[in-house]
Amino acid sequence: MRHQQLLEAGARIFAISIDPPERNAAMVEKLSLPFPYLSDPDRSQAITPYGVADEIDERRIARPAIVVVTPAREEAFRFVSRDFADRMPEDEVVAAVHQLNLAPTTQEPPERGPAEPGPRSLSTAMLRIYFRGARFAAQAMGLRHGHHAAEIKADSKAYVAEMDRYTAALDWLRGPGN
Amino acid sequence: MVFDMFDFTLIDQSRRPWRLSDSLDAAAMLVFLRGDW
Repeated sequence: MRHQQLLEAGARIFAISIDPPERNAAMVEKLSLPFPYLSDPDRSQAITPYGVADEIDERRIARPAIVVVTPAREEAFRFVSRDFADRMPEDEVVAAVHQLNLAPTTQEPPERGPAEPGPRSLSTAMLRIYFRGARFAAQAMGLRHGHHAAEIKADSKAYVAEMDRYTAALDWLRGPGN
Repeated sequence: MVFDMFDFTLIDQSRRPWRLSDSLDAAAMLVFLRGDW
């Protein structure tokens, strides 16, 4: 996410999922996240009240979503994904925050707590392989079935682009200073 | 008591309580993630 741009526009980022603090600490560490990662294990405090619970998934997780809350306690922006493959609308959310005309803000790096990755957690090296495989599969499905419908072709293209973005993020993580 | 969706409290990655209303001197971008990873 465009953390620095959002801070300059007057917004801080807070990630939320059902995972316990130890797993979130592991994620903050692995991805060098510059913002807190919060735990809503029974979805009662934020995930359900904000209407982003995934009611179909049996693990009772959240759908990937973004909600911007203003200092006046109003929602300024909302995006709820259809599924895990939807791209987060980074440009749109930055533009929406700019329109609030807020003063620039800052955000302290998150404090590290005891970290314990989940049983399915992948290292960044494994993630790179995972993204490559997912990209290849999405590309193959687009080539094989894209002629049936423009939507299939567009979805394949979007998913390939998303995997490229994730891979670029891993490149950034591996770079100097990270 | 009426639930206030702009004043909820969660636990952060270091096990400290985090309250939304304490962060609303600026805008707050809540990023909901699937988790279970």
